Amino acid sequence: MSDDADLDFIAAAMPAFISEAAEQIEAIETLLLELEEQPDNRELLDSLFRCAHTVKGSAGIFGLNRVVEFTHHVETLLDKMRDGVIALKPEISTLLLQCNDQIKFLVDTAADENADTPDQKDARADLVIRLKALTEPGASIAPVADKGGAVAAPAVADAAGPAGQPALSIWSISARFGPETFRNGMDPLSIARYLGTLGKIVKVRCAVDTLPPLGNLDPETCYLSFAMELETGASREDIEGAFSFVMDDCELDVTAPETAGQKMARAIEDMPETPRLGELLVSVGAVTQDKLQQVLSTQQQTRGMPSVDKPKLGDLLESQAGVAPEVVAAALGKQQKIRDSAPSEERYIRVQADRLDAVINLLGELVIAGAGATLLARGSRQVALVEANLHMNSLIEEIRNGTLGLRMVPVGETFSRFRRVVRDTAASLGKEVNFEIVGGDAELDKSMVEKIADPLMHLVRNSLDHGLEPPQERVAAGKPAAGKLVLSARHETGAILIRIEDDGRGINRDRVLQRAWNRGLVENGVVPSDDEINMLIFEPGFSTAEQVTNLSGRGVGMDVVRRNIEALRGSIRLNNNVGKGLQVDIRLPLTLAIIDGFLVGVGKSKFVLPLEAVVEVIESGGSHVKVDERGRHCLELRGAVLPVVRLRTLYSVESSLPERVSVVVVNSTRGQYGIEVEVLLGQNQTVIKPLGRLFKTLRGISGSSILGSGEVALILDVNSLAELTTGAQTGSGAATSLNTSVSS
Amino acid sequence: MSERFELPAELNIYGALETRDALLAWVAENNVQGSDSLEICARNVQEVDGSGLQLLASLSNMGQSWRLTDPSDAFSDACRTLGFGDWLEGRPARGKPAGASK
Repeated sequence: MSDDADLDFIAAAMPAFISEAAEQIEAIETLLLELEEQPDNRELLDSLFRCAHTVKGSAGIFGLNRVVEFTHHVETLLDKMRDGVIALKPEISTLLLQCNDQIKFLVDTAADENADTPDQKDARADLVIRLKALTEPGASIAPVADKGGAVAAPAVADAAGPAGQPALSIWSISARFGPETFRNGMDPLSIARYLGTLGKIVKVRCAVDTLPPLGNLDPETCYLSFAMELETGASREDIEGAFSFVMDDCELDVTAPETAGQKMARAIEDMPETPRLGELLVSVGAVTQDKLQQVLSTQQQTRGMPSVDKPKLGDLLESQAGVAPEVVAAALGKQQKIRDSAPSEERYIRVQADRLDAVINLLGELVIAGAGATLLARGSRQVALVEANLHMNSLIEEIRNGTLGLRMVPVGETFSRFRRVVRDTAASLGKEVNFEIVGGDAELDKSMVEKIADPLMHLVRNSLDHGLEPPQERVAAGKPAAGKLVLSARHETGAILIRIEDDGRGINRDRVLQRAWNRGLVENGVVPSDDEINMLIFEPGFSTAEQVTNLSGRGVGMDVVRRNIEALRGSIRLNNNVGKGLQVDIRLPLTLAIIDGFLVGVGKSKFVLPLEAVVEVIESGGSHVKVDERGRHCLELRGAVLPVVRLRTLYSVESSLPERVSVVVVNSTRGQYGIEVEVLLGQNQTVIKPLGRLFKTLRGISGSSILGSGEVALILDVNSLAELTTGAQTGSGAATSLNTSVSS
Repeated sequence: MSERFELPAELNIYGALETRDALLAWVAENNVQGSDSLEICARNVQEVDGSGLQLLASLSNMGQSWRLTDPSDAFSDACRTLGFGDWLEGRPARGKPAGASK
């Protein structure tokens, strides 16, 4: 292969490397933060190490020496942590986070030598020195107490010397290389050489028996295998790491100098898939088949007992068959792992976002065209055609749901990004914060997730900066010193509710009002309702921050937050509890593109209600019901009073009111209410088109849609419609005649 | 053809095919001449990889006995690393007899 071809290949694969590395780096951050909370979690530490190792390995392939060099130091530290030599303390975690930032920087600027300024180099050298201070022998390192169970404790810990340094031990390594090894550019000799750098090669033998005689030898095929005894303080992963690039077609067996129990535990770990506990143990020789049968029959006798009293097979094996607890633990762990990993064998395809967008756009057109075809089919009164059309429409609906589902991502990915922000911000403000994420698996359209990240970030920072008090102030107020910040997400009638909740001081109503008067946002002396005062913080040009910190000085005001959320057809609400905390509720539609709509008619105008919001439809009196100027009246529904809004009056639709009308009962954030309409036109897939600029100010309407017939229908927003009619605000904005806009 | 085979400076995958053919030709020639123990000289070897060592190991498997002479540092080092230290002791390296491999 020529050098040019190599370079071309590397250039072509580089973007994939960078995006993959970015994922690993993100995972490292998340894992570190999780590990801070559960420092004893071995799995997290292992994953962390794997991530760092992957970044290093793939950077090596691309010849990104700076990344490899630097990540190597990080890896060394992680390795020591895995060996239990170093415990994760907050300082170490901070250091590792900074290192991760540095790795990210190095990866991002991989292609650009100039980006690596002397300042960056200094910063990096500094980090390396700090890493080395922790990892190099001679540095004072307190041995960590062995908190893990028998399985979690690494093998070398048993042999650890008095200084906490892992003692040298002799590993047996046997490797049989695959035939393609040379052709893949790998060389057993260099691997052996590398192993030599890890410690001292006590013995090495190359197996030559499998070699064909020279005449039959294909010199480019690898027939080699070697057995080595290596005396080293390195971990199993270090040793196996030497083989990472030939792993695919190399039979590798690395055996540590272990106790018999550990050997069995390891054998269980290494088993491919063996589901039953007993079989697992028999196969590694921890228990004989006879003994197992005996224990199983003992367990059989307890069958009638309630499950809590039932002795577990593992316990029985320990007590009766004399199997070492650590072996049972390993077997159970393996079983759990098999169970965990079975369903999560997911496979992903990376798809460019704009391709997906193009499909969704087409889908929108398809939905409209489908509605048009349905209309024609009905008009033709041909039963077969109508049937065929119905079938097609149900297929379109499935495709629609499936396609929109492709864009759905769990919101938790965005949320977990905030962990770091919260951690760093709290540290820089000298506050203590317990940050919780609830409901991170709620799904939201990908483009929404991207657009919501910034406003959320701002609100989170805001809570930290202005909401949560410093520890002494909290203690004085009778609260725990550490503040609480909860970010939660859940689905709610066709929308997602994201809530940012803190237990800080809440919004100071008086100060907000004073500020609003000063800024002229509210006329001097006028005192609006509490809710409205709270919402004032979202007005442009409002800020009560007493000190401008580097957080509030970012030029993104709360008004921008509200604007961004409203641009996503979302709404924001505050639930203020002075002195106790603040809840910020953000409601967002699940998707920007298409909804299931319920089509209704008022006069000549058509309206679409989101189907998820519709509860039921009832009949009601028509023209003889008394309504006020905003179209409001009430009716009795199964003994309860239901507020009803008459669209005809609210939007001044001109036509004569029929004798009987229908009331669509809908769910909103403010409770159930009715919407009085004249004609019910049924379910309809609605492709949402934004309202033109002229109609942006219309309240209670969230968008428009084109029907199959080519008519325009307005999409009602049940929540803002509820606010419009139940709230105390003046409804002047709504009483705009719609006739001109709709009958166009 | 001499009874000494000079290994090339680059005893690696890039020249593996040529080296093998040269070795084969040389072995065939010497067999005709009835040489008993052949000498392979490694003084010129500067670069060596697993495939190069594999060639020599494979030669042993032909039942051909041979002896290493004058190994360069690079070659010695490689032999020791991959477990072919025996060759360096200058004794004839003898694999399975030819009959056994057939």
